[in-house]
Amino acid sequence: MVASRVFKILHRAMLAALFPALALAAAPAAAQSPQVTIAARQANFKKMGAAMKVLKAQLDSGAPAKEVMANAARAIALTAPQQAKLFPAGTGASAGVKTDALPNIWTDRANFDALMVRLVGETGKLQAVASSGDVAALAAQTKATGAACAACHRQFRADN
Amino acid sequence: MPFDERAAPPPRAPIWDAPVRLFHWLLVALLAFSWWSGKHHDMDWHRRSGYTILALVIFRIYWGFFGGRTARFAQFVRGPRAAFAYARALASGRYVATPGHNPVGGWSVIVMLGSLAIMVGAGLFSVDVDGLESGPLADYVSFDQGRAAAAIHHLMFNLLLGLAALHVLAVLFYLVRLRRNLITPMIHGRRRAHEDETVEDLGASGWKAVLGMVIAGVCAYAISRGLHF
Repeated sequence: MVASRVFKILHRAMLAALFPALALAAAPAAAQSPQVTIAARQANFKKMGAAMKVLKAQLDSGAPAKEVMANAARAIALTAPQQAKLFPAGTGASAGVKTDALPNIWTDRANFDALMVRLVGETGKLQAVASSGDVAALAAQTKATGAACAACHRQFRADN
Repeated sequence: MPFDERAAPPPRAPIWDAPVRLFHWLLVALLAFSWWSGKHHDMDWHRRSGYTILALVIFRIYWGFFGGRTARFAQFVRGPRAAFAYARALASGRYVATPGHNPVGGWSVIVMLGSLAIMVGAGLFSVDVDGLESGPLADYVSFDQGRAAAAIHHLMFNLLLGLAALHVLAVLFYLVRLRRNLITPMIHGRRRAHEDETVEDLGASGWKAVLGMVIAGVCAYAISRGLHF
């Protein structure tokens, strides 16, 4: 039958197309190179820093735009929880990639993780306050979030 | 008792006007304070200190055109030939004191003032890694550009530290090797004059100094407000 043959070909083509996609999706969970992990967390930190700058600029301006601030806060809150997972062992300066991550992240891990939890908590609050539209509260929470960034940077980041 | 002529003080000639000296020592103090406040992440004070240095730089450039004789760029910025000739004379021991900046010192003033201006300028656009602390003009640039400005700010500070060290070494060289004290004239503004020298005034005008301070203050204030009027 011609129809069943066509279906077979389509079925194979679909599998062939799906396989690389599946393989790609599975790859990061298996073993990501330190370079990729470092690049990913750096891109995330940059995204958060840029969003913080947007938030700060809005708050400093006479007329803050609520939607712009809510978007920035959401970007920060969605990115922060990814970061704790992007510091596996072997992704320090020994990986041979330029990174400001200090070695004490892996020797003082409990402290580092606690600061990551604090960051996630503060950014969650930041998103909630930003969507509420309370500018004064948002200014205070932006400071609190920045303090969480800075607290970790002072202990665990070089060039600080 | 008869007047003893030998007890008369050696003749003194003015060399640095008061605004030049004030600029110099305020800059020393504020650079130290800026370094300290930056190191301790006290960014409110770091910014205030930076705005004051900005005003100092603007004033010094103004004073380079309207100040006393030895403060003017036209008086002390000399060509490279003059600078090399002076350096050669120093090296061969034929040292002649210059009433003001010597041809090499003049260039060191330009390089230090230029580095200072770049450092302050970069600081105005700088953003910290958290995106929370920034210079007053950072709203005009992106996060990445602001980070690049911070890197330049930092680099220029290190360069300036090196230049300041070189400056102090040169002053010590004059003190030890040439037996010329350049430090106290920068405090009281006078130098030893030659016996037969006619002592001339520097011609620094008080009202021009006040006008320069007002201009510098207004400019620095406007920039500190991010140029939002």
